[in-house]
Amino acid sequence: MNQIPANDAVVATTNGITRGEVILEATDLVRRFTAKGEGGLFAPKKTLVAVDRVSLALRAGEVVAIVGESGSGKSVLSRLLARIITPSAGTLALRGTPIDLRSRRTTAYANEVQLVLQDPFASINPVRRVGRSLERPLRIHGTPKDQVQARAYEVLESVSLTPPQQYLDRFPHELSGGQLQRVNIARGLSVRPKVLLADEPISMLDVSVRLGVLNLLRELCDAHLLAMMYITHDIASARYIADETAVMYAGQVVERGRGTVVIDAPVHPYTQLLVSSVPDPDQLTHQEHRATTANAVGFNLEGCRFSPRCPHATELCHTSEPPMVELEDGHSAKCWLVADAAQRTAVSMRPGPSSEG
Amino acid sequence: MRRFRLPGTWKVRVGYFLLSIFILFTVIGPWVAPYDPSYTGFTPDLSPSSQHLLGTTLLGQDVMSQLLVGCRETLVVSFVAGVIAVVISIIVGLTAGYVGGKTDEVLSLFIAVFLTLPGLVLLIVIISLFPQGQQANPLVIGSVVALTGWAWGAKVLRAQTLSLRNRDFVEASRIIGERRWRTIFAEIGPNLLPVLASSLVGTVLYAVSVSTVLAFLGLTPITTWNWGTMLYWAFANNAALAGEWWWLAGPCLAIALVGTSLALINFGIDEYINPRLRVGNLSNRERKRAGLSRRPKLGFTPVHRVTPVIGAPVMAGAQTGPEVLATEATASTPAPREDHP
Amino acid sequence: MTTSSNPVLEVSHFNVDYGVGAAAVRAVDNVTFTLERAHVLGVAGESGSGKSTLAYGLTRLLRAPGIITGGDVHLHLGTDADARRMDLLAASEAELRAIRWKHISVVMQSALNALNPVRKIGKEFDEVLKTHNRSMSKSARKDRARELLGLVNLTPDRLERYPHELSGGQRQRVMIAMALALQPELVIMDEPTTALDVVTQREIVAELQKLRQELGFALIFITHDLSLLVELADEIMVMYAGRIVERAPALELYRGPRHPYTLGLMGSFPPLHGERKVMTGIPGSPPNLKDLPGGCAFHPRCPYAMERCTLEDPMLSPIEDGQRTVACWLHDPSVSAAVPVELRRKDAALAGEAG
Repeated sequence: MNQIPANDAVVATTNGITRGEVILEATDLVRRFTAKGEGGLFAPKKTLVAVDRVSLALRAGEVVAIVGESGSGKSVLSRLLARIITPSAGTLALRGTPIDLRSRRTTAYANEVQLVLQDPFASINPVRRVGRSLERPLRIHGTPKDQVQARAYEVLESVSLTPPQQYLDRFPHELSGGQLQRVNIARGLSVRPKVLLADEPISMLDVSVRLGVLNLLRELCDAHLLAMMYITHDIASARYIADETAVMYAGQVVERGRGTVVIDAPVHPYTQLLVSSVPDPDQLTHQEHRATTANAVGFNLEGCRFSPRCPHATELCHTSEPPMVELEDGHSAKCWLVADAAQRTAVSMRPGPSSEG
Repeated sequence: MRRFRLPGTWKVRVGYFLLSIFILFTVIGPWVAPYDPSYTGFTPDLSPSSQHLLGTTLLGQDVMSQLLVGCRETLVVSFVAGVIAVVISIIVGLTAGYVGGKTDEVLSLFIAVFLTLPGLVLLIVIISLFPQGQQANPLVIGSVVALTGWAWGAKVLRAQTLSLRNRDFVEASRIIGERRWRTIFAEIGPNLLPVLASSLVGTVLYAVSVSTVLAFLGLTPITTWNWGTMLYWAFANNAALAGEWWWLAGPCLAIALVGTSLALINFGIDEYINPRLRVGNLSNRERKRAGLSRRPKLGFTPVHRVTPVIGAPVMAGAQTGPEVLATEATASTPAPREDHP
Repeated sequence: MTTSSNPVLEVSHFNVDYGVGAAAVRAVDNVTFTLERAHVLGVAGESGSGKSTLAYGLTRLLRAPGIITGGDVHLHLGTDADARRMDLLAASEAELRAIRWKHISVVMQSALNALNPVRKIGKEFDEVLKTHNRSMSKSARKDRARELLGLVNLTPDRLERYPHELSGGQRQRVMIAMALALQPELVIMDEPTTALDVVTQREIVAELQKLRQELGFALIFITHDLSLLVELADEIMVMYAGRIVERAPALELYRGPRHPYTLGLMGSFPPLHGERKVMTGIPGSPPNLKDLPGGCAFHPRCPYAMERCTLEDPMLSPIEDGQRTVACWLHDPSVSAAVPVELRRKDAALAGEAG
């Protein structure tokens, strides 16, 4: 797998894009949802913060993995970046140009930033032939009629569905899960986007075909210099594919780092819990988990979100939110444990180093 | 194929058959009618005979001819009403379901109002607003009937659209930048086909009965022939009291049969929409042919041995076991060495 | 390894079809195994491998159009004195009802569908306990329910909750507690943790291991996650296209798979440590049961396929002193081709133990 750090990557250039160049940058994205409160019709409305001040940068030819359990806000984040959901606060910039988030999403934006959904069986219209689903985005984005089919052939080949003519006339239910997810990816790629957001692209697939789809995503990322975000709950797959990994908990990024550092040497207690929870037959002696979820509901909104479940939580953790602290180059965590150690170095509420370019 | 195709059960086939007969008479009825339905020159009050298959009326008219000629108006009015009602319900239901928010609230209220309004009263009021000459026009009657009959379909379509709206393929269509109206009609629309078909069938059924009632009450012109006006004349002349059953039986039976055919077709659509009604594609015929006496019950999977229990192939494999072991032992000896170079 | 000393479940030549006649699809094909008392048998496989069909077929909970078309299933009930051997396939509806929950219970993937949404958790426990033990008093039933929740680390106040008020992990814990309510000899779990996040999965698996030691039930645990099984199961059975392709003690299977499919499956999980390198998984798509390839069903995806694999279906045969079984021509004595290294290696540590 191609592991090229951002710093010394100036080699490849495609369509005027340099490898490692920041394509999509989000700063302090927030999304709140209001929900009906508990206890009757006239109960006060509750505000849920699904995504809480998340900043990240997607770079050409790199994969950023967002790891989190369901409800961590990772899917909402992908939709904020795709501009299907409007952020409550924060900014977005596409290739350095700030996006006016109050305006409607333009076709041009949709063209540049594509989102691949989790469930291939549900995200392709069951009553339409595969070809039509593939050709539609091309038509919307103004591809001349006579070139549409050629392009459809081309993208099907790029996701290894060959020969392409065999797939265009099929209905979705005639394909297997892995093939359908390839069609799904091909549809996202057909308009030559610069950013591909993949929301749990392998979680609905059979185990034996997952790696194939992961490898495909990595190859596409390298070949077309795509800036890719890979959302997953499977930390091992993040380790396999990502150039940078960010762990989300309750809407916030709690730890992030380049390469495999987040998984190999986790610092945040939540990341540690996550990593040690993955079934790993090579290390059958698991340490006793002190954090527990059995009776825990909700999370602390005052201090550290994880403090109710955290085995190391102190009074400080329950009352005030820890800052994101940079530990070493490209590795930072949002935890008072490390903040204490690094207290003398600048403690900033600003997000991790990756968004500084 | 997951495209819309009705299951071919006997119910649906009988339904199709009956309906196609009536549609045939809608087309050819006036030509094959033996006599002019308005001609009063026959012997009045004849019971069915070879001359007059359904007898004659007190006024000396041929009942059979009236039935055949009236078929056209009844069914044309009903289908016009059905189609118009479905179009209204698509527009209102899909918009309400997909757009949501305030639009949905307003449209839902609108649907609720039309569902609770006493349809017949409304119809009587609206019909009376039209000039006499227009009241006989099937398009006019059809539209008016549709006005009171669309709300049910709109309600169902709204609910279906709501559930489809959050499906991933709809979101995917938004992601690729599809326009909203295209997403509604081109992506969601085809998935609503079974519901639409059911809604059409239901509305036509409603329109058959409503238009008949309108004519029977004399609210639409009684000078044209349809099954409603036939009943109007029969009752006006006390056919039931006079024992002239043939005068009533024709239109009543025809209405009942059209109703039955539509209901049977709807059963089929229902089975298509609601998978719980599909008995796990294990049809009765298949079941009997396989020798299963009972319909499978939940929590009691049937056992039907088709392969002999003894002498199954695994036994053969087990017999070759010792040989396998012998060679396997030698084959696997070098393996650890390779692991430890 | 002990052989059939104290079995709880004996299955032989078990076949399940979907549909009848020409349209019938064989979903479970000639499955034979014995489950020892208090053992954990892991069943691994992908969608269409027949693993869930097997579980529901054994308990006769499989819905139409599923039909059991052959074989024998015997359940051993009770302890030494009043032990009896029950033929599950010959059992009447009433007999089956009497043994469910009490002797054999099932936990499904989605607890939300298994729990009645308008009933409090406590009521569900009450029903289960009442149906099978009429003499139990109301307060005794309540105490038992509290005790059962305690087993799965839930606080007793959950009894007053409705299913939708619990998290996915809590619901699955409730289902496990209910399955254990009447101390059955055999519990079957079909992907009980697949819908949960890893942290909850880890906790539930740890609880299961503890409970099994305390209560001594036998467990059939079905999942697509082979690494999870290695931790939990005593033995693992790998299924492909309705058949068992390999069966071995858990660690031995993990450290030295013998079937190419098992090997491929294990190569499909990226590791959590070590150097990152490109892995390939298994080429092709999982089989379509309606249109299975001739010969060995895995041959189109198998990197070691020989001509014989396309023609003849390999039997499940014992290898290595009967310690394990595999259905693959590579291990057949009549095949002259050498077994590839990766399919005959033994783990260093294990070899040392054995010697």
